[in-house]
Amino acid sequence: MRFAFVLGETFSGIRRNLSMVVSVILVTFISLTFVGTAGLLQLQINQMKGYWYDRVEVAIFLCTDTSTTTSCASGPVTDGQRESIQALLDSSTAAPYIKSYEHESQEQALEIFQEQFKNSAMSGTVTAEQLPESFRVALVDPEQYEVVNELFSSMPGVEIVSDQRELLEQIFSLMNMASVIAVSVAVVMLVCAVLLIATTIRLSAFSRRRETGIMRLVGASKTMIQLPFLLEGVIAALIGALLASLTTWAIAEFFIGDWLTGQYPGTGFIAGVDALILIPLLLGVAVLLAALSSILTLRRYLKV
Amino acid sequence: MIRFEQVTKVYDRRSRPALQDVTVEFERGEFVFLVGASGSGKSTFIRLMLREERASRGAVYVVGRNVARLPSWRVPRLRRGIGVVFQDFRLLPNKTVYANVAFAMQVLGKGRAQIRKDVPEVLETVGLAGKERRMPHELSGGEQQRVAIARAIVNRPDILLADEPTGNLDPETSLGIMSVLDKINQNGTTVVMATHDDDIVNQMRRRVVELSAGEIIRDETEGGYRTDPAGTDPASIDPAGTDPAGTDPAGTDPVGTEGATA
Repeated sequence: MRFAFVLGETFSGIRRNLSMVVSVILVTFISLTFVGTAGLLQLQINQMKGYWYDRVEVAIFLCTDTSTTTSCASGPVTDGQRESIQALLDSSTAAPYIKSYEHESQEQALEIFQEQFKNSAMSGTVTAEQLPESFRVALVDPEQYEVVNELFSSMPGVEIVSDQRELLEQIFSLMNMASVIAVSVAVVMLVCAVLLIATTIRLSAFSRRRETGIMRLVGASKTMIQLPFLLEGVIAALIGALLASLTTWAIAEFFIGDWLTGQYPGTGFIAGVDALILIPLLLGVAVLLAALSSILTLRRYLKV
Repeated sequence: MIRFEQVTKVYDRRSRPALQDVTVEFERGEFVFLVGASGSGKSTFIRLMLREERASRGAVYVVGRNVARLPSWRVPRLRRGIGVVFQDFRLLPNKTVYANVAFAMQVLGKGRAQIRKDVPEVLETVGLAGKERRMPHELSGGEQQRVAIARAIVNRPDILLADEPTGNLDPETSLGIMSVLDKINQNGTTVVMATHDDDIVNQMRRRVVELSAGEIIRDETEGGYRTDPAGTDPASIDPAGTDPAGTDPAGTDPVGTEGATA
């Protein structure tokens, strides 16, 4: 009974104040969609990190006849140099960082090269001697590339230590930038939403001052008087958040999951399912902000 | 039931207090007229009992409780024990008579069955049986005030405060309202009524407390609106009070300014 009455009051308030409530819904919707997009970008970054970091390796290229770097001044790598590199890879100094490694000889490198460029005219002209032999090292933690680089780059017979991760880092920093921008826009919009909710509640309280005046006089509790207004703000914000959740999910499912995955297969994109964890976040932000701004407004403009 | 102990209320330090050192006590079941000119402190007196205001000095006891000491979350409970009626009725214009009275029960969380039982009963008491479905604008002033009284007593308060309930009504209608208030008083409710209406006070012959410039200048049981000039000190009678009924336009009444505190 009591609950039904509060809900009834809430909806009659929403009806009377419909245009304001709709604007609260829209502003919350747009601002939380920005929040959701930023969340999707972060999820995508994580997904790509997980996907690629397992696959990227640190390659320790060894000197060949054609190497030009100063570390290879003494000519191609000798058996002794190769063994000492391998010894270091097996040593207790490097072991904590290295998950596994493989030696790739010049012949194997040629095979891989010919496989990758089999449709190119180049594949016929390249010989095994032109390709460097290498150690392919998978790291325990891909972030610790620098340690491996320091250990091996100065060793004799090593031409260069290259980290395939560097390329990815550039993409990630670009995506991070985009999510920062999305969050900044979202923050400004959320401030708008909070102020709009406060104004809406204030208008609603003003338009129902007769009712609230009578409620006070007959001794209705603070909850009974204020809850309908609080719910009005929270419901409006919640509807906006639901729309934003739907949009965020649709972006993940159809744009990223279907379209982008179709365009760039094998990249490790997120899908709609991954976006689902953002929904509680969006709803939570909406409820929290709406409740907070409503309570502050009511404390000021609806005395009990 | 209601006790004022040396109560002073100052709204604005530069002007004189609205109430000055008022001490008075009303017993359970009493019917008391609060009379006095505009600005004599009648409305402040009522607002203090409702804890719309707090006394600047002194203590106001309602049903044994010092209302100034009441924590704010207990104030609704205090108000549940007090029904209030105003000069301007304050009905909800978009609700029927029945809904207006039921509203006062709904906001206290009363059950549907109880509402269905109590509302017709109380409408019967105020003489509005059969008009449940009317809208406030379809009623006369007297009928509207009866709805307001029904709303004030539907939760069975111990005290009924009436702030110039007949201020907007003609003398005949006023008498009808008075008989309703009298009936409520007969049922055991303490009634405190602020008024300007000398006819009513003189006819009812109940306890009269007269305020002037924030002080009680007269308190007599079965009193009239104005006592025999020989009986009291004539200097204490406010000269503006000679035509009291016409001196309080609705707008100057602090309680009557609707929505000011909402």
